[in-house]
Amino acid sequence: MGADASDLSLVRRVQRGDKGAFDALVLKYQHKLVKLVMRYVRNPAEAEDIAQEAFIKAYRALPQFRGDSAFYTWLYRIAINTAKNAVVSRDRSPIEYNIDRNGEESYDMQGRMKDSETPEALVLTDEIRSIVNAAIDALPEDLRTAIVLRELEGLSYEEIAAAMDCPVGTVRSRIFRAREAIDRRLREVFEGGLGRAEELG
Amino acid sequence: MNEELDSQLSAMFDDELAAAECELLARRLSRDGELKARWERYAVIAAAIRAERGVRLNARVARRVSVIVGSEPALAGQSTPRRIAGRWLRPAAGLGLAAGVAAVSILWLRAQAPPGAVVATPPLAAVPAARVTAPAVAPAASPRASGPDSYVLPPAARGAAAVVPATELANYVVAHSMFSSPVARRNLLSAFMSSEPGDAGTIPVSTDAKSNAR
Repeated sequence: MGADASDLSLVRRVQRGDKGAFDALVLKYQHKLVKLVMRYVRNPAEAEDIAQEAFIKAYRALPQFRGDSAFYTWLYRIAINTAKNAVVSRDRSPIEYNIDRNGEESYDMQGRMKDSETPEALVLTDEIRSIVNAAIDALPEDLRTAIVLRELEGLSYEEIAAAMDCPVGTVRSRIFRAREAIDRRLREVFEGGLGRAEELG
Repeated sequence: MNEELDSQLSAMFDDELAAAECELLARRLSRDGELKARWERYAVIAAAIRAERGVRLNARVARRVSVIVGSEPALAGQSTPRRIAGRWLRPAAGLGLAAGVAAVSILWLRAQAPPGAVVATPPLAAVPAARVTAPAVAPAASPRASGPDSYVLPPAARGAAAVVPATELANYVVAHSMFSSPVARRNLLSAFMSSEPGDAGTIPVSTDAKSNAR
């Protein structure tokens, strides 16, 4: 297993002109990147805007990406710089910190307004989380341990194999079966899947 | 959906799939909407398990990025030439330019000297440009009569003090060796040494010059 081989194979395809491969990279990292950007901005909508800008910058800079570092490390740096620049330009903007007529700071109000634009997004997020948590609780012990060690602790298959005292192939199978069980529940609830990536395909 | 394929996709998502298999699956993933939807759900499951606070599990970012990227030109053909240009053309052009300037300077300096005269070049850094560009020819009978601006040795001193320009030029080339290639440098140095008689690195003083100094 080559470290970063998965991302690198997608990156190489994008560099050869395959835009669909970039969709896969965005789908994989969008939540991680938004979470990262939220260290700099509290507003989820603003964090999504910055993450989007970081992805676009990364796409345009991909011809210069040589694979010396992992793709996510490279993307991470772009996102951090984009977030810092966004914070600086926002701080320079007098509108953001203006005091409104009633003497209340408009910054938080603006944030709430942005959030209120998509209340369904919050409902969807809560719903997905509860479905996933319920599905994990319903998993057999070995599958639950494997998926939690992978997703929550970030262990490699080899480390999970050592922790669970089983072959790496068994870990791979357990994680796959755990994902399939959770995914099945998601598709049942959302009638055939979340139905969003199809739009990108 | 093929279970083996899905299992590979799960391993690829975790970066635990062999590189050769990744290549094949990446190709399919970029084109297969169903596979891409599964890939997205794997990402959603991962984010939900990590319970990332404040992160909304929607595809807003991915959707908007996809639209913008869709309107941009494809990257094919942009990477290799730009990379090669960045890595090789710039230093090569710099080397070529430096070598060219050095060669032209040497040829020009030599061309300035009158036929049969030997140009005694002081260290370049210490010489004002006007002196270099306007060398004066000293009268043969009185070598010092031309004053300090003269860089032409009298014919009487020529035989013994002929190595000064070669030495100075050699010093110049060595001091600026970072701007020339080893082969070009070696050729220049050997050309200097072979074109001038005497010991390199020394400035012999003729008996005539010594007597003049007294």
